[in-house]
Amino acid sequence: MKKNVLKRVSALGLSMLMVTSLTGCPNSDNEPLDLSGGDPNDKPEVISLMADTIMTEENGLQMVCDEYEKQTGIKLEIEKPDHAKYYEKVTLSFASEEPADIIEMGSTYYPELANSGALWDMTEAWENSTSNCKNIVDEDYVNALKINGVLYGFPMAAGNGTITYVRQDWLDEAGLDAPKNYDEFIEMLRAFKARGNGAIPITAAGLLNTETPYDIYLREFYQDAVPDFYKDEATGKYVDGFAQPSMVEAITRLRDAYQEGLIDAEIVTNKTSTCRDKLGSGLVGAFNYWAGMWSLKLQRSMNDGQLTAIPPIEETGGYTERVPTAMAMSIYAPNKAAVFEHFLMYSHDGGEGQMLFTHGVKDVHYKYNADGSCEALPYLTDPDNKVEKSMYAPELTITDWEDPIPLDDMVKESLETYRENRVFATVPIVNDTISQNLADLNVVKNVVVANAVTGKTSVEEAMQYYEEKGSYYANAILEDLNSDANLAAEAEAEASAKGGASDAEDTPDAE
Amino acid sequence: MKKKFNLFHPQYAARSWFVLFNTIFFIALMIIMIVPIFKIFCDSMVNQTVYGLNLLPRGVDPETKEVIWFNTIAYKRIITDPQLYHPFLVSIYTTLLTTFLGLLISTLGAYVLIQRDMPGVKFFGYALLFTMIFNAGLIPTFLVMKKVGLLDSIWAVIVPTSMNVYNLVLMRSFFEGIPASLFEAAEIDGCTPMGIFVKIVLPLSKAALASIGLFFAVAAWSEYFHYVIYIKSSDKYNFQYKLRDLFQDKQDASEGTRINTNTLKSAAVIVSIVPFMFIYPFCQKYFMTGVTMGAVKE
Amino acid sequence: MANNNDNMNFDHVIVKEPSIGQRMYKYRWFYLMFLPVAVVLAIFFYWPMFGIRYAWSTYKLKQITMRTGPDYSIGWGNFQRLLTSDPFHSAFKNTIILSFFNLVFATVLTVVVALLINEISHAWGKKIVQTVLYLPHFLSWVVAASIFMLILSAGTDATGADTSNMGFVNAILYNIGIIDKPLDFLTESKCWRGVWYIMNRWKETGWGTIIYLAALSGISPDLYEAAEIDGANRFKQTIYITLPSLMNTILVVFILNLAKIMNIFESVFVLYNSLVYDVSDVIQTYVYRVGIVGNDYGYSTAIGLFKSVVSLVLVSASDIISKKVRGYGIV
Repeated sequence: MKKNVLKRVSALGLSMLMVTSLTGCPNSDNEPLDLSGGDPNDKPEVISLMADTIMTEENGLQMVCDEYEKQTGIKLEIEKPDHAKYYEKVTLSFASEEPADIIEMGSTYYPELANSGALWDMTEAWENSTSNCKNIVDEDYVNALKINGVLYGFPMAAGNGTITYVRQDWLDEAGLDAPKNYDEFIEMLRAFKARGNGAIPITAAGLLNTETPYDIYLREFYQDAVPDFYKDEATGKYVDGFAQPSMVEAITRLRDAYQEGLIDAEIVTNKTSTCRDKLGSGLVGAFNYWAGMWSLKLQRSMNDGQLTAIPPIEETGGYTERVPTAMAMSIYAPNKAAVFEHFLMYSHDGGEGQMLFTHGVKDVHYKYNADGSCEALPYLTDPDNKVEKSMYAPELTITDWEDPIPLDDMVKESLETYRENRVFATVPIVNDTISQNLADLNVVKNVVVANAVTGKTSVEEAMQYYEEKGSYYANAILEDLNSDANLAAEAEAEASAKGGASDAEDTPDAE
Repeated sequence: MKKKFNLFHPQYAARSWFVLFNTIFFIALMIIMIVPIFKIFCDSMVNQTVYGLNLLPRGVDPETKEVIWFNTIAYKRIITDPQLYHPFLVSIYTTLLTTFLGLLISTLGAYVLIQRDMPGVKFFGYALLFTMIFNAGLIPTFLVMKKVGLLDSIWAVIVPTSMNVYNLVLMRSFFEGIPASLFEAAEIDGCTPMGIFVKIVLPLSKAALASIGLFFAVAAWSEYFHYVIYIKSSDKYNFQYKLRDLFQDKQDASEGTRINTNTLKSAAVIVSIVPFMFIYPFCQKYFMTGVTMGAVKE
Repeated sequence: MANNNDNMNFDHVIVKEPSIGQRMYKYRWFYLMFLPVAVVLAIFFYWPMFGIRYAWSTYKLKQITMRTGPDYSIGWGNFQRLLTSDPFHSAFKNTIILSFFNLVFATVLTVVVALLINEISHAWGKKIVQTVLYLPHFLSWVVAASIFMLILSAGTDATGADTSNMGFVNAILYNIGIIDKPLDFLTESKCWRGVWYIMNRWKETGWGTIIYLAALSGISPDLYEAAEIDGANRFKQTIYITLPSLMNTILVVFILNLAKIMNIFESVFVLYNSLVYDVSDVIQTYVYRVGIVGNDYGYSTAIGLFKSVVSLVLVSASDIISKKVRGYGIV
């Protein structure tokens, strides 16, 4: 009775499968979406926002929404998924074709989703905008988000970057000045090491950062090497920075320093939190980390010792300014041009709107004193700390406005040092081949650098390994980037962007 | 007359040593099973950062140096913070619904499957079994959910969990044990199939309903992954999902509330176990019924 | 059963075999009763099978936002990509390693514990032991993983100078002097698999004994009596009577589990993290990351399909083995 049950079940199942697969019809029910902006004055009733790095619910996010509705008459619905799953939720919401109108997006996902055609091209809306934001914004930040001349998102705040913090007290004790070039930098690390007691001259979380810019935490060692794909200005073609001779030199520098004990022995397995803990417990001499607010936080985490942010050493050519975090608009949003005006432009208007998006609600998150000065109030849930921001970090504002709440001196100082020496990064290049191969390639890169630096293999062997395992992915990516079609499309996009997108009737989509 | 019992008499010695070993072994094993849970229970009642080896539900107040037993501050937080108690309510709601729907589907399906003479019944049986050995996979299922508009709906979680072929087969093998004479008698009395189902089959299957119902309840209570992929709105998450978030989130849920993170996490774990702990001692025999029923089937 | 019914009711009259239409009419209510089951089955289990065809297409977010639908021009491209992809190889390898070792540990441990439980003569003791050992089975994977994360935590102080923040296990090891600084078990490639095996055994060993205990209670006492007369002690009885009698059950359970080895998912999903992908990433988690996180529906459907087909082969193999061993198949 039971003998051939499995056979029968499978036969039946598979035949059903065949039938269903054959009769399955292609999707024909969908027409392309309307991508025109519409009338900027056609106020929507509701705007939905999905964001990650904003004030928590418990600290009065709803009050910010209510205040926004009071000011503009538009209801604001905010979704704030948990941080660990933020990008899963973002991609899932696009897959379900019901994303929020405005979505916060970091530099990895921004080009990826733009490339997928999921984001609305807001170049024209920006060019034609009559808002105050247009007058006060620092255009550098906006341009940093353009992909081939097309703007898909508006910066929330400056991308900011990392700067090297060193222990001023250790420097003083060793009788050294802040290093100006690589030799002095190494000399400084040697002096730190000579202190003994488990002192770690420099630490970082991993040898390569997990996202672009990959070299951001160890700029002093990477110098001119770029562990990523970039366009060679001379030939106009893309090259794999990782396969260049400069990369071998950079790895050798890292290796030498590591073998000498100048770099944290646990660098490969460190997490950022471990690094911060080590710094906090007074073990670390130099640590490259975010400029601005973090200078204060790092200093506060230390029991004793004085941190100072140093200017970049000359070989690096400056610190890298990351691509700003973007507020992108989905192609499914209604009244796109109006949403752009009443949300994005309004939040950078240099007045009421900007105050709300930067500091929150008056008398809840900040207050004016009798003498006219303004100060942040403590968090609703945490009486010991003051509100830093509601959505946009005040110290990283992209507009030239009068912020009534003054910044802390230490924050200001580290930002000034940093900004004098920064270089803007460009939005990472993304296309189908890259998104298909980059993750695999990055695994190989990490192995190569880790093996060579920790001395598991020689530098030559490590590069050999890259040649064997990595070139398959790298070549596929290069082939696609250097294809005539791609180069031509880029040239065209650039030309049209330069030719003034404002008078171009309809800006060509990325596709 | 009575022989004096001597534990170390050669006749008993080996056995006694074994019993001793066995007792120690199981005491150790029980400790291994229980200690992780007990440790979490203790940590949930100690609101301080020092917790390492502590195995008592008491802590020392860092300021007053006063010893506090059973500090329930974290539990108070859970029952007063809507972000934490709402998922718990969702869990209860979905568990009840899934159990009801699951039992409905299993009993109806099983009752039909025992009708050997019904045309097409074998086809139904095979169609059910096939889903046990082959499934379409995550993405196609996700895209169907999208097409039928169930994304971000609690039903996307409830319905697939309610349709458990294994439980249905278990139910069928139980129904097969109901004496045929009962059905005949009822049919002679003019009962409709539905009437037989309600008046005879269900009342006779209380043990099976209880045990399979419990399986559904445990599965529904433990449901996590379906929430990850199908549910978007934060007001529809269940407690397992929330618990997982507490562990994953870099932003500290206990921030500024004067509750230690680990205390809150531990308390959340305990809260998610508690409902089960209440019913477990009373229901153990039903769980056993279910599983031995399955074992006989094998 | 219903068939018997008819025969008994009508065996005094000569009845013609009823036509299929008549039989269907007779069972009309049953079709109605099966309807809800059929609807759920059709929508949630069979309709998705249409989607298997995406395995032969490029289907990403772009196809959704552009509203063009999947692009079938790549043919077997996804499968070629899969066979040459390192992460897939690693996921496949991990799936096999994790399931197989877990299966071996499970079989050995569960049988040993079942045999020992069977030796407990004290009725209450036995009951208590069983109650406690079954308990972890009913905790969800999320809860089990949460418990392990807490007791295995390394604390926040990486220097090892402060031991107060360590989790339970680290604190024990540190105090005994085995380690001089906390180990982060779950982010360490060397430890992760060990933790996963232990978590699985902690959760499932007790529950797994039930089926063996049922089999043990079925062994005829006569066998033991005869052996005792022959002078065999308890140990010899276990070796020569109990184990051979259990062999069939052991094999059946082993075979049934062998058929499921491609399916491990949630236990890994709740415990792994990006730092240990090399030892922990299994096919199902890889499908999740490529498909749900990476929005590459075509490729991840192909991986899923590959997995399902391997599963199907395994089930068939188990079925054949099962037929050889015990004379009938597994379904």
